[in-house]
Amino acid sequence: MNSDPSAEKTSRFKLKGVVVMTTAMLTFITFWKAAAIVLCDFGSSAFYAGSIAMKAIGPAFPWYILAIMIFAGPILLMYMEACSMFTRGGIFPVVKAGLGENAAKLATAAILFDFLLTGPISGISAGQYIVGFINSILEFLNIETALTGDGFSILFAIAVTIYFWYQNIKGIEDSSEKSSRIIKFSVMVCAIVVVWAIITLFIKDDISVPPIAPHFNEHSLGWAADIPFLQHIGIFGVLMALGHSVLALSGIETLAQVFREIEYPKIENLKKAAFIIFVFALVFTGGLTFLAALIIPPDLIATKYQDNLLAGLAMNLSGPTVFKLILQACIVAAGAVMLSGAVNTSIIGANGIMSRMAETGILTDWFRKIHPKYGTTYHMINMICVMQIIVILFSRGNLYLIGQAYAFGVLWSFVFELASIVVLRFKERERKRLFLMPFNVKFDHYLIPVGGILVVIVVILLALTNLITKQVAAVTGISFAAFFFLIFSVSERLNAQKANDIFEEGHREKLNHIKADTLEKALSTLSKENRLLVAMRDPDNMYPLDAVLKDLKDDDTDVIVLYVKPVEHWRIGKREMAKSVDENELFTNIILTAEKYGHEVFPIEINSNEVFYAISQVAIAAKAKEIIMGVSGSYGAHDQMERLVMAWGVLQNGQPHIPMTARILWEGREVSYKF
Amino acid sequence: MDNQNNNIPLILNENRIFIIRENITKADLVSKLVHSICSDLPNLNEEEVLSSVLKREQGISTTLDTGLSIPHARVEDLDAFQAALAVLPAPIKDDYGLDVKAMFLFFSPAGQAYFSGHLKLLAALAEKFNSDFIKELSETNDKGLLLKKVSL
Repeated sequence: MNSDPSAEKTSRFKLKGVVVMTTAMLTFITFWKAAAIVLCDFGSSAFYAGSIAMKAIGPAFPWYILAIMIFAGPILLMYMEACSMFTRGGIFPVVKAGLGENAAKLATAAILFDFLLTGPISGISAGQYIVGFINSILEFLNIETALTGDGFSILFAIAVTIYFWYQNIKGIEDSSEKSSRIIKFSVMVCAIVVVWAIITLFIKDDISVPPIAPHFNEHSLGWAADIPFLQHIGIFGVLMALGHSVLALSGIETLAQVFREIEYPKIENLKKAAFIIFVFALVFTGGLTFLAALIIPPDLIATKYQDNLLAGLAMNLSGPTVFKLILQACIVAAGAVMLSGAVNTSIIGANGIMSRMAETGILTDWFRKIHPKYGTTYHMINMICVMQIIVILFSRGNLYLIGQAYAFGVLWSFVFELASIVVLRFKERERKRLFLMPFNVKFDHYLIPVGGILVVIVVILLALTNLITKQVAAVTGISFAAFFFLIFSVSERLNAQKANDIFEEGHREKLNHIKADTLEKALSTLSKENRLLVAMRDPDNMYPLDAVLKDLKDDDTDVIVLYVKPVEHWRIGKREMAKSVDENELFTNIILTAEKYGHEVFPIEINSNEVFYAISQVAIAAKAKEIIMGVSGSYGAHDQMERLVMAWGVLQNGQPHIPMTARILWEGREVSYKF
Repeated sequence: MDNQNNNIPLILNENRIFIIRENITKADLVSKLVHSICSDLPNLNEEEVLSSVLKREQGISTTLDTGLSIPHARVEDLDAFQAALAVLPAPIKDDYGLDVKAMFLFFSPAGQAYFSGHLKLLAALAEKFNSDFIKELSETNDKGLLLKKVSL
């Protein structure tokens, strides 16, 4: 294990058992990739939101889709505030902190409902686009046959769900690169469509701007049809129309889940990601839907292109049919991959949310059961995929039906999460927020979130309106939420002791312990120009790592985080060995600190009977430019530094010295020495 | 001040070099070396300085696995580094059970400006006094030669 084997033979100070800690939680991505992940879900609603809204509110649908996409801006700002408080966002911790555990369970049930419908609606929609494209080809070839979409869409959606079920059971590796490629392709297709559509608008002379007033049918009025006075309140009509368009916002909550993965500088990158998401969604979903409504004749929107609106847009542009077919192929390709990606995101999202519930002890161990071969939570993945396939079969490929129900999960998860963010302004006013939803008024010790309150009011009004107008959503959504609330509550009772233990112990990260034969092998994966070694010991004192990561501006530095585990049976004479700590707690806190700043760290553990010897040896082997450690409560910084330089000196063996600085940090103070 | 501390002939002289063949405890050896330095520096309070060294010895060990022990103290009334050396052909045990084969005791001025030099001396001693070098010293019977060897 020693860099110099001869030194190991003569030394009584031992260094053995290098273990590299790895976890999927330690990779960070650019703001662009984060935006791409969110857009693969959020942006995919462009392919079906317009069609569903059109069936509900008639030709006015593009105005309301556009309004909803503009409303995505304030919602993104609210999510950004939540992210700045909870690095590991997700609906459960935010709502639990804001509105309590029961509300958090309901919110989780609502978002699970959302995820369970995201898969089917995306899979079916992709199927409809493929069928639409096949029909366009058949029409081009003058073959008088047209496929009906529903049967194929059901099969396609089931196939995609089974494919991603298998991928998730095996464990999917980082997919941000794939998402990035999908979005780049979609941006390209979108740009071509927009430019071509604008040219078409200038060429065509029969363009008419869609009306703003929505037209409801008996189905889209729902129970409101039986409440005549509501139909005379203009604002209620607007709320109803918006409520039928709100499913376009589905997937926006992915931002909270992806925030953990965003690299340094986290908040700045979050802002950039949110801006890209907003602009892309506005243009892609809002813009293309509006252009489709302007260019496609209304009778075709309601019939031929009712389930593949953007394909209809391509086929109704001015120009040669062959080129339009190529463009439709591109749209179908973009749609198929984005929508299929959304199926995958829905499985990952639902599994992630249920895993968080299981981690807090609310779900029993049955849910957390790990696949013996792949190490994935296969019970949860099986359950999610089976439910999604049931939804696909029951819907019989009817996009409108699923779309109606879908909005329930989207809206009620917003209600709980956004209301929690507002409540937390009062409940936890001292809590550090690196981003605030704009429009605040200072009153006494509080920063009243006027902007946030307005957003919550709008969301609550939309959710209540939808309860009245969407019978399918209200019945299925409430039933589902009640069912899952019951599961959570019963499971929590069955698991009460375990939940209590988990609460007492706190969150523990799952870490892979990879043993390395030599120190050099363990460090061989380091690739950056500079290395820093941070020696950590106390799980409750992350100050040294915090200070290092806070000031680490460039991406040219590997940060090695070392825990030297004292080994009692290698004790030398009467030497007092430091007590070993709960290493899982230590490394969990190290990972959480790394996540907070979005910097990758390289955690390793080494067994040794001499801490300073081990630290120096790792620093020399890694050619680290700095050694950073916290102060010891027993000895003080000066004694520690003295011992460190002695250990460093012993290990030089007459080799040329590599410039290195040792720093001992505590409470804004520092003792340093340049070797 | 950084250069001065590493220049062994400036901080150590033959009168402060001892070849210890008799049985002795580490504490007595420390006292002996402290006394040798204080004899040259009458302004130092030997009792206080000894107490500082022993107090430091209670902290993190100053003995290395090579057999070198480096007791030390940062002393208020001092404006230059001072040192004494003992070579022990028959090793003694330190408080932690490690073998002490050579003891290099030194005082450094207490000012913060000298701390870097203090650390530099510790690192340099730890590097220089490796196992082979200590063995070489233990086989040397001449104090002048010992001073020459450690001064190189």
